[in-house]
Amino acid sequence: MNSALPTSAQWAALMPILFPALAAAVIPLALLDRDAGVQKWIRAGVYAVALFALGASFMFLAELGKQSSQPSYQQLRLDYLAQFTGIFIVVAAALAVLQSWDHFHQEGWVKGETISLLLFSVSGMMVFASTTNLLVLFLGLELFSIPLYALTATLRSRSSSSEGGLKYFITGAVAAACFLMGIVILYGLTGTLDISVMRLQAGTPLADPLFIVGIGLLLVGFLFKVSAVPFHQWTPDVYVASPHPIAGFMSVATKGVAIVALIRAFPGLTAWGPVLGPKVQGVFMLVAVLTLVVANLTALVQTSAKRMLAYSSISHAGYLVLGLVAGTPGALTGMLFYLAIYLAMNMGAFGLFTAFGLVGEKDTYEDLRGLGWKHPLMGLCAALILFSLAGVPPLGGFYGKYMIFKELVATGHVNLAILGVLASLVSMGYYLRFIVALFLQAPTQAQEREATEAPVIQASLARGTVLVGAILVVAGGFMQTVLVDGFAHRAIQGLLGLR
Amino acid sequence: MDLLSGTLQGYLLVAFLLFLIGLATVLLRRTLLLQFMGIELMLNAANVALLAFARWRGSDLQGTVFYLFIIAVAACEAAVGLALVIGLHRHRATTDADKASSLKQ
Repeated sequence: MNSALPTSAQWAALMPILFPALAAAVIPLALLDRDAGVQKWIRAGVYAVALFALGASFMFLAELGKQSSQPSYQQLRLDYLAQFTGIFIVVAAALAVLQSWDHFHQEGWVKGETISLLLFSVSGMMVFASTTNLLVLFLGLELFSIPLYALTATLRSRSSSSEGGLKYFITGAVAAACFLMGIVILYGLTGTLDISVMRLQAGTPLADPLFIVGIGLLLVGFLFKVSAVPFHQWTPDVYVASPHPIAGFMSVATKGVAIVALIRAFPGLTAWGPVLGPKVQGVFMLVAVLTLVVANLTALVQTSAKRMLAYSSISHAGYLVLGLVAGTPGALTGMLFYLAIYLAMNMGAFGLFTAFGLVGEKDTYEDLRGLGWKHPLMGLCAALILFSLAGVPPLGGFYGKYMIFKELVATGHVNLAILGVLASLVSMGYYLRFIVALFLQAPTQAQEREATEAPVIQASLARGTVLVGAILVVAGGFMQTVLVDGFAHRAIQGLLGLR
Repeated sequence: MDLLSGTLQGYLLVAFLLFLIGLATVLLRRTLLLQFMGIELMLNAANVALLAFARWRGSDLQGTVFYLFIIAVAACEAAVGLALVIGLHRHRATTDADKASSLKQ
């Protein structure tokens, strides 16, 4: 074993992971009880430190992206895929931090470590997305999951919040235990913890029934994080229970890193050999079909817009898993592009609640009535984001789906592509309901009275993030070649060694 | 050392049984604390299997070190999980999982 200290190039590559963790460790020191006057400044300081750490992390990642070498340190690989995912996570976290500033101003400040926990989970996600070693993968999984359990229960004064946190904890811990058992079985049968080495040990262990059990348990852990049916039950409850920015961050970043880790573990169909490959593909196919059908139909009957967005995020997991079914480099590139657009769409959609100043349990379609006319710019952004979620051309969401469906047809899964198109048509129904509530339904008299009496809401930062989301969605539609060739394509090529 | 000289199959059987008992506890019992114990049982089942495999592979260091990490992770999970149980107990004065179902649609 080489236990040498990292070289300077390796240090630079590790910085994106270390910066958020360091900031997360420092922030709780500043949160001791003080009087109200001082606390205001401490809060501002905490947010500044968090944004600085995320910014520094982003700078180091951008610097890494310019180099032609792909550094690695021990079990961590900071290759193009890891850099892509790192930027993805940092941007999502920065948007969530900005939105939470406004959200906690509206909701009332919680004494606490929200931002610190968020940064810890950012570090954990980066570790999770940049390794093929199962030990490190497990540690990354726990490092980002455990803070998220606590983050869900942030609003301690509300009982539904701690209930959601507990539900997430119990289901998440069971999924993590299954994931761990899968790792142990795979390790026992192959004698290695590295999944990319394991794959190359062709021959007897890969066909062993116990090995298949191990892969199955591993997939339970991954699919739980992706929140694909039948491991989706926690998603709506947890998103509704958590603060809006945290719900957005969880829906985007957790799903994103789990998809990236899946791409690393199952890159294409040939990777796992002729026996296991088709079996894994069959599982993905089943999961994708179930997810698309169940999530889209359940989303139609929701009365809470936030719950609808939770089911919509499950259905997007379905489209992403469809990409894994196709498994070609083109489909994997499409998945990364889809994730980038999904980041803009979902951070924007969850940010809308903060931008409109909806707090507490006010997250139904009723509460949205007429808000589109009251805040015209936000209304326009909302329409763009929701149409993109539904996959209307020429917005970004359409091209993400198009790239995945194209590869599905090319690999002969025409039925699945048709199902995907039908699912997006169904999804149009519930996204339109959101837009109809915003523009076509007049607010009730009680709501009008409440709006005139209420103080001016502070939401400028959240509105900014929604605007950024909408701009990215449009940009993704018109400049998709830049995004695809510049980032997604290179990440997948680096992973598969195609160059 | 005679106690530790059982075959690999024996240890694995124990580990899988523990895992299933833990899973059944989480799924069937309705007390949050017992469900919590079930989760710990599942993690420790993985530990037993891991150490058995590591020993079978000639005291592989990777497996032995992994075991220490799992212990630490289980402790972290316990800390957060118990805090969440206490948080819920303050609101509802119960640790019954069935009484914490206000979030259903």
